[in-house]
Amino acid sequence: MMGAALTLGRPAARALLYPICVYFLFASWTAHRAIARFRERAIGCPAGWADLLRHYYAFAATILDRVYFLRCRFDLFDIRFHGLEALEHGLAKGCGCILLGAHLGSFEVVRAVGLLGRQLDVMVVMDEHNAPLMRDLTETLNPTVAATVIQAGGVEAMLQVKECLERGGIVGMMGDRATSREQTMECPFFGHKARFPTGALRLASLLGVPVVLFFGLYRGGNRYDVYFESFSDGVHAPHDLQEAVLQRDIQRYAGRLEEACRLAPDNWFNFYEFWDDEAH
Amino acid sequence: MGQDQSGLSSIEQELAELIVRTLKLKIHPMSIEPEAPLFGEGLGLDSIDALELSLAISQTYGYQLKSSDPEIKAIFSSLRALAKAIEKNRTK
Repeated sequence: MMGAALTLGRPAARALLYPICVYFLFASWTAHRAIARFRERAIGCPAGWADLLRHYYAFAATILDRVYFLRCRFDLFDIRFHGLEALEHGLAKGCGCILLGAHLGSFEVVRAVGLLGRQLDVMVVMDEHNAPLMRDLTETLNPTVAATVIQAGGVEAMLQVKECLERGGIVGMMGDRATSREQTMECPFFGHKARFPTGALRLASLLGVPVVLFFGLYRGGNRYDVYFESFSDGVHAPHDLQEAVLQRDIQRYAGRLEEACRLAPDNWFNFYEFWDDEAH
Repeated sequence: MGQDQSGLSSIEQELAELIVRTLKLKIHPMSIEPEAPLFGEGLGLDSIDALELSLAISQTYGYQLKSSDPEIKAIFSSLRALAKAIEKNRTK
């Protein structure tokens, strides 16, 4: 598929996505159920076959587009930035910042910030245990980018994050999907309890760095809308209030994520039982 | 009952106290097994706890832990290994 993407070009490769999506439509019952539940809770609409197909297509398209992003072919896209001043504000303190995103749309599109004529030191924390294929893909297409991926978990990962922030760099992290062994906190998401990882926010408070929200939404065709939003200024919370502040911030993150989901419901790529009440 | 019941050397005892104090653990420092894993399954500490501990180590002993250290995984593998690395690299 990667070869096809590069030799045939984006339009032809996108045509190939349709049969793949139709296959998923019939093959993946878990994903199907997860999408249906999400749509019902997020936008109050049940998912028909056409909605499912559109959802899978959005997912497949963003995966395909990673190939082009990794090859720095941003010229193929219409990428619109919103709230860039939030990123500037986050970096103004001079101690780097954490970009807190989600499995909503594309995170890889963040590399397009290089287009803005600024040389930014961006590293992204990823749980590559779950995506060895993605790691190989990145390694093959762009070893320079592969070197900026921090493998989640482990002491050395967090030291890498700290070192990047000390250089004034940006560290991208996901705030919606908890890996095993990671601490989580429960909070309502679209009215039902779900668990969110607390790692990024604990890290920001420990190191005193600002957090900027990031959502790279795929809007169909070749268009991406990239949103930055100020979230916190990297102020240490007093010890006795840390837990309460964390709970409040997780809730605030979930609220902003809800808003972003409403803008592009077919960009929700958590294809598993997201809410606590589904696990039984 | 022996005077060194915990089996910890003095630097290990000091480090055990630093760990409990920094991470606000509700256990006695002497109950930390010197050879048991500190993170993951051991005390249930995660990588952000590890980072917090590395900041405390740098402040207390002037030893800056680095991700580029090829031994980093081994250093953090147990109380004993960490204490050994501190003894070797401390500047205060």
